[in-house]
Amino acid sequence: MSRPGFVLEVDDRTPPLVVHEGEGFRLENFPLGTRAIYPPESLPAIDDVDGAIREALLHPVDQDPLPAQLRAGMRLTIAFDDLSLPLPPMRAPDIRQRIIEQVLTMAAEAGVDDVQLIAANALHRRMTPAELRHIVGERVWRSFGPSGLLYNHDAEDRDNLLHIGLTDQGEDVEINRRAAESDLLVYVNVNLVAMDGGHKSVPIGLASYKSLRHHHNAKTMVRSHSFMDHKKSHLHHSAWRMGRLLKEHLNIFQIETTLNNDVFPSPYEFLMKREWEWSVKDQATMLGMRRALSVAPRRLRHKMFHDLRAPYGLTGVNAGDTEGVHERTIAAVHRQQLVEVQGQSDVLVMGVPYLGPYNVNSTMNPILATCMGLGYYFNSYRGQPVVRRGGAVILYHPLDAGFNQLHHPSYVDFYEEILAESTDPVLIEEKYEQQFATDPWYIHLYRTSHAYHGVHPFYMWYWAAHAMDHVDDVVWVGGNRRAAARLGFRAASTLSDALEMVSGTVGTDPSITYLHNPPHLIADLT
Amino acid sequence: MGFLAESVDDVRTMARGWRWGRRSQVPRSAEEFVPPARTTVFRTEWARKRGGRMAREAAQKGVLDPLMSSQVRRRVEGLDVLSRIEGPVIFVANHASHLDTPLILLSLPDEWRRRTAVAAAADYFFDTWWRAVGSAVVFNTFPIDRRGGTMATTPGDLLDQGWSLVIYPEGTRSKDGWVGRFQLGAAYLATRYGVPVVPIAHRGTFAAMPRGQNWPSRGRRQLTVRFGEPIVPERGESAREFAPRIRSAVGALLDEERTTWWEAQQRAARNATPDPSGPDIAPWRRVWEQTATLTAPAPTGRRLRAWRR
Amino acid sequence: MLALEMYRSLPRHLAGKAIGGRVPGILSGYAAPLRLVTIDEPRVEREGWARLRTRLSGVCGSDLGALSGRTSLYFSSLVSMPFVPGHEVVGDLLEDCGDLPAGTRVVVDPVLTCAARGVEPCEACAAGLTNRCGRITVGGLQPGLQTGFCADTGGGWGEVLTAHRSQLHAVPEGYSDEQAVLLEPMACAVHTALRSGIRQNDRVLISGAGSVGLLATLAIRNLTSAGEITVVAKHGHQRERAFALGATEVVAPGEVLRRLRRATGAFLVKPEMGSSYLLGGVDVAVDAVGSKQSLETAVNATRAGGRVVLSGMPAAADLSAAWFRELEVVGTYSSAQREPALDGRGAFDVATELLAGDAVSSLAKTIAAYPLHRWREALDHAHGAGRLGSVKVAFDPRSKR
Repeated sequence: MSRPGFVLEVDDRTPPLVVHEGEGFRLENFPLGTRAIYPPESLPAIDDVDGAIREALLHPVDQDPLPAQLRAGMRLTIAFDDLSLPLPPMRAPDIRQRIIEQVLTMAAEAGVDDVQLIAANALHRRMTPAELRHIVGERVWRSFGPSGLLYNHDAEDRDNLLHIGLTDQGEDVEINRRAAESDLLVYVNVNLVAMDGGHKSVPIGLASYKSLRHHHNAKTMVRSHSFMDHKKSHLHHSAWRMGRLLKEHLNIFQIETTLNNDVFPSPYEFLMKREWEWSVKDQATMLGMRRALSVAPRRLRHKMFHDLRAPYGLTGVNAGDTEGVHERTIAAVHRQQLVEVQGQSDVLVMGVPYLGPYNVNSTMNPILATCMGLGYYFNSYRGQPVVRRGGAVILYHPLDAGFNQLHHPSYVDFYEEILAESTDPVLIEEKYEQQFATDPWYIHLYRTSHAYHGVHPFYMWYWAAHAMDHVDDVVWVGGNRRAAARLGFRAASTLSDALEMVSGTVGTDPSITYLHNPPHLIADLT
Repeated sequence: MGFLAESVDDVRTMARGWRWGRRSQVPRSAEEFVPPARTTVFRTEWARKRGGRMAREAAQKGVLDPLMSSQVRRRVEGLDVLSRIEGPVIFVANHASHLDTPLILLSLPDEWRRRTAVAAAADYFFDTWWRAVGSAVVFNTFPIDRRGGTMATTPGDLLDQGWSLVIYPEGTRSKDGWVGRFQLGAAYLATRYGVPVVPIAHRGTFAAMPRGQNWPSRGRRQLTVRFGEPIVPERGESAREFAPRIRSAVGALLDEERTTWWEAQQRAARNATPDPSGPDIAPWRRVWEQTATLTAPAPTGRRLRAWRR
Repeated sequence: MLALEMYRSLPRHLAGKAIGGRVPGILSGYAAPLRLVTIDEPRVEREGWARLRTRLSGVCGSDLGALSGRTSLYFSSLVSMPFVPGHEVVGDLLEDCGDLPAGTRVVVDPVLTCAARGVEPCEACAAGLTNRCGRITVGGLQPGLQTGFCADTGGGWGEVLTAHRSQLHAVPEGYSDEQAVLLEPMACAVHTALRSGIRQNDRVLISGAGSVGLLATLAIRNLTSAGEITVVAKHGHQRERAFALGATEVVAPGEVLRRLRRATGAFLVKPEMGSSYLLGGVDVAVDAVGSKQSLETAVNATRAGGRVVLSGMPAAADLSAAWFRELEVVGTYSSAQREPALDGRGAFDVATELLAGDAVSSLAKTIAAYPLHRWREALDHAHGAGRLGSVKVAFDPRSKR
């Protein structure tokens, strides 16, 4: 039986707690009284995954069964989440593969000929054939990949985008033409965190820059409290408006899946255990790993971490009408990730791990680390942030990974040029977003190479905008000083130094809360 | 910092944080989330493999037996019952001291002794690795959970594999030498697997080495151990019905120990066997009676000798 | 008189060439073919020549190049050994010289033209383009392209040198010696600006923020209608100065191509085993260093049909882009007495005006002056001038400290 998440109060019996910092961990002795929030333990996974999928497809929410919607001569498009989900990538077979295979089986039975599969990567980088194959599986890849019927969405391919219309608030809705002109669009999602899924799938995953800029901007993000709570996120409100408009124009069959918290494969499972329950073997593994990491060359370390494949188990699969499905999905996500927390604290401590949505098989540069810490983790709350307004955030990450020129070319320029000038999301957006968004070289690399879109680093910065607006002080423990300064923050070598540095903001005896993730958690402060 | 200094630092942090060499602790606020039954299943199969058996033979015959002889005097009665049955059986005994197990094991004929395992409380004998390994090697113990109610799966497996078991149904050592309440475990196993139960009654171990003492008292105290007739659960008999029969068999043996076989038989027939839990008198008197020095009657002739070994 | 003399020494030359790049210390130590000597004062017994006493004489990049053996052997027939280096000179006239009375503070335009050599003016000299003079090896002087490379005239790194009236420009009142010693490099920068052919709103890259790059920035900002000027600067203080002198953007060497790519909407290409380059880029690039890396940066960052101006003495570099992108590669050497682009005014006159500004006077304050006997220190400092926060190192032969 899996235990619920809980809030630990660090006392004199508490062993040091694991803090993730990039490609490594720290064992941190937190000050007595620090609250550490632990996610619920991994929920039991569904044993009969194929049966559960079949059940969902045959008995969808508020829609006809999938086989009833399939007929010969129709245009069927299957879109699916890209490699930013789940994190770390799932051990084969990926859940999307299992779903797509069943959908295709039903389509074949119904005699559907015109089928295309589109990775809904929006402005993310194009995936390589190997990455696509990992998601959809060998069989699907072999049937569709080589003939060009399984491909990445291209948000800059004007010929293959269709402007659907404007929402009641004047937002452009423009998505992939093939998807928009299909008789049925099946979307296969992995709902790793509460932000994913719902109307964020089609209206964002298959959208163009023109459509995305209405919600991917600093103003929206600052007002999304938080973007992990779709009912209180302006980002999602916008996406929901778009989704409802889209629904009038095309049939969407949404399939959403939820996963449990089995993030780390053997022999790293102990990272999901509570430290005081570590066995001697766990302790030895940690010790050995720390020593090995300290001498391992950077390449090896990178490989060690990025080769991890998570043994995620499926906790739920729902299909049918987007909103009805998403309600069930969110309930499942909350069951796995929600932890009740009483009251805000002065200081929030978070360890930024080696991986975020945008550096799968790549490096976590300082901008992505910021997005991960101040974006994703900071926003992992419901109700109000874990840290009070005007408080301080302490993050752990070395910030020294550098930039991947293949995947993040625009990030380099953003870092060297834009951040040197200003770190204010609003100002940056006004002055530079257009330049980056329309830069032909970035567009070229996005379309033909494996680069994130030119505007993507801006989105990373907007993601962190709410946190930057909310707290007064950000310190990176173990961070490269120059990089931290460029990001507009400060660096410290230890937690006590960091606490000393933020004492000007929160006093010398602040209340501290540590978010003990990964695995994923949502702090519930409603 | 150099690699070496960092390593030392890491080891120190972990040693302090996880209290190496001492018991680990749970933060107070996390206590309610600790799973109630932490069955850390300590695997003991290895102790019944060839290597374990050889080590045990050496430990029991080479060390334990001479040690026992040097500290206590032993008298064994009724071993003839074992010649009439085939293993596996469940030996059920009263429990008053840590001396009980070596006393019973060393009283058994070698071929029985080598095929006998002892049920030991998981929370005591298996909570540290060194105690678990030690008891598994020397006494062939296997862990059972005495609080959970349901027994771990291993006892049945052991019976299946032909191992006889020693079970103390009281689940704990007596506080005053008298017999306590019997739990259902042994009866359950016997009815479930249809194996005979051999009752055993022993006296003197409480006097020689009661709770709280970890070495026999000086002066080579007398211990006696008496094996009774095997009792076999009847068809369809439940553990709840069978358990009292086991207890009264042990009680009758104790009665026999105190008096004679014939008197005990008569009392048993009248259903007047004294309750093995002892008279309801002041605690000190209960202890007093149990610690009275046993005087072993002089060996009664050659016949008995022939029965030993 | 006391002077630093450069002499011919094959082993030193080779040593400097071989390891000077890796062990800069050797260039101011063993490998420098330079010595402090007492020699006779130079004298040229001809009409128009006069002696002057050096007040300050700068160390130029070309001097360091010559000392470290990095200069192309191309120039070996254009100098006469042994010579006293120093062509950025401000000094006092010891004798009357034509219309200039003794005691006048003057700067020297170092080019030894037809007039100085006492020969009939060549075509270039006749037109006032004195830096293009074709008679620099003949006439009444030993070969030498400039004062400071000629055995007869002496140079700024000695107490006394001689100069011809045609080379002299009186320094106006109110200019410090430090400002005045920047006049010659400033004139070169003016010439560079005029040679760069910058049109309205052109985007300019200046690779290098030493004295050449900084003064070129000033000249281009003031004399042309350039739009954005991007300066490549290695060191922090250079950033500030470049902005003060008119740069719109200052970037680190590693960032240049990416920044220009962004700014110009060009495409960045990475060849196998070579440095990246742009397809597209700036209209005009000025190489103000002369190293291979800097030169290639300039060439690789210029748009097709653009212009690359060689302001530093160039090292061998890959010129593929010049061919493929049809670049106009123009050299710019010293300065002319009558600049055609300035309606015949001299570069020195314009330079004098530009030098009056605040930005340059603060630049002049960073000049580090050394007495002659501390020449090793001075050269060492000059090698690391950028890092050490100075723009120029100079000798002050009057100083005994």
